[in-house]
Amino acid sequence: MSVFEGFRFRRVLSPIHQLDPRAKFFYVCTVFVIAVMFNQLMPLILLFLIQLPFVLAAGVQKEWIRSMKGASFLALMIFLFNFLFTYFYREYPTFPPSSSLMEYSLAMTLRFIVLVESFSIFFLTTSPDRLGLALEQSHIPYEFCFAFTTAVRFVPVLAEEAQTIMDAQKARGLELERGNFIKRIRNYIPILIPLIVSAIRRSLELAEAMESRAWGATNKRTNLYVLKIARGDYILAIISIGMLVLAVYVWLFMREQIPSLIPWITG
Amino acid sequence: MDDILCESRTVNKTLAIINTLDLKYTYPGGTAPSLVDVSLTIGKGDYVILTGPSGCGKTTLCRCLNGLIPHFYSGKLEGEIEVASLMVPEHSIYELARHVGLVFQNPENQLFALSVEKDVAFGLENLGMPREDMRARVDWALQMTGIYDLRERAPHELSGGQQQRVAIACVLAMKPDIMVLDEPTSFLDPLGAQKIFEVIGDLNKKLGITVILVEHRLDLASEYANHVIVMDEGKVVLDGKPLDVFDSESARLIGVGIPKATRLYQALRQGGVHLDRVPVNSQEATLLLQEVLTRDRG
Repeated sequence: MSVFEGFRFRRVLSPIHQLDPRAKFFYVCTVFVIAVMFNQLMPLILLFLIQLPFVLAAGVQKEWIRSMKGASFLALMIFLFNFLFTYFYREYPTFPPSSSLMEYSLAMTLRFIVLVESFSIFFLTTSPDRLGLALEQSHIPYEFCFAFTTAVRFVPVLAEEAQTIMDAQKARGLELERGNFIKRIRNYIPILIPLIVSAIRRSLELAEAMESRAWGATNKRTNLYVLKIARGDYILAIISIGMLVLAVYVWLFMREQIPSLIPWITG
Repeated sequence: MDDILCESRTVNKTLAIINTLDLKYTYPGGTAPSLVDVSLTIGKGDYVILTGPSGCGKTTLCRCLNGLIPHFYSGKLEGEIEVASLMVPEHSIYELARHVGLVFQNPENQLFALSVEKDVAFGLENLGMPREDMRARVDWALQMTGIYDLRERAPHELSGGQQQRVAIACVLAMKPDIMVLDEPTSFLDPLGAQKIFEVIGDLNKKLGITVILVEHRLDLASEYANHVIVMDEGKVVLDGKPLDVFDSESARLIGVGIPKATRLYQALRQGGVHLDRVPVNSQEATLLLQEVLTRDRG
């Protein structure tokens, strides 16, 4: 599950953490769109490198590298599948005639890596609290925002509870690591059922506590915090738009001239 | 004995903040009623301890006080209940929430936000309070409960005692007239429990908030109380001043955790030693014993 490690937020202060989640999300979307536009190696390498300063500025290198490592297995699978399938189906319509099989497969892999990279930067530098706030200020109904932040809040609680239940069931003789694949999955049923039951009970208690604190008293709910768009957010938005405009221009007029990198690599 | 105790407590009805008359409630699908003919009067500014064996209806009574019964739990509610001049069945939970704050047993399940101050603000946000007022109110509630330094921490990183103080701050921020605490210390160690009782005592003394505390650890809690109610099997069996209730025979028979100092008094009385008053805590007992000892010598 180390891919997800790279998406877990840690409380650090940096200029990137201070940015408005909406601006960051716009940036991530831009990167996403550009990555999908190109299937040559060169622009995707550029896109990969452009994001490294963000990682360094946010000071999340360690977590970021961990998520990249976690993604490497999937990346390898993507490379192999692309390589094999395009080898057998040369007529595949999006296959650019100028590039080689090797370059195409590498580009597809790098596209995936760029996507993981940008999303992990987003989640590593955005606190769930601010993300919830951004959702709220984007006029998403409060019930959904509340469900989101509460889900995030209760992840560690439920994880702890699952551990307790596992210990309790093991103490009663349940063997989790035994049998074949199907048997092992079935071993987890005595853990899942108590976990679900207690989660339902917990949700009832939560509902009681919410009701007791005037949930639903007014439609015009206010908020303790407010997100204000600052200079940094404008700068990030302008960078994103600039990148997008440049990418569209290159895609429209210079797509055929993007050099292949394979001769360079193979020398 | 019990009847005498019930009669002896005469609260002026005009000063009462909670009034119930023959309250009877059965949970949906329940065969026996959980509350049977509960008639109580609680005065404004009182510090009430509600105690009794597990499953005797204490929590059910708490739920009636802020309208969870009958609005959240369906079921059959009979009799009258008036809280802060509002007839409970006729007002919604969020209306009652402004007057009655309810703190639950498990601190973990009543904190939903990702930071302490956001959690404290939750009720005020629901009421639609303007941001500046809310900021001031949140800071005030955090200071009153002594957790101002924790305001930016995540609730799940805190200890149980700290979490429970956050839960109290959450309720306090709404400036209720009445605070109902349903076994707030049962998940805590003795030191954490002591801290909670101090905070609650302060709120009662300094702000005049009426406190209803459901509790088994009477040794620590009874120091602050001026009214004790004992329930058993859905009924109110004892209702009166702490000393009278603790000293009564039926309290012992029901299994109320009578303070050790009071037990000492009873043991001494059986042995022929009479203290002047019934002590509730160890300091008081020490003083009384010293008095008796010096008197005997002199």
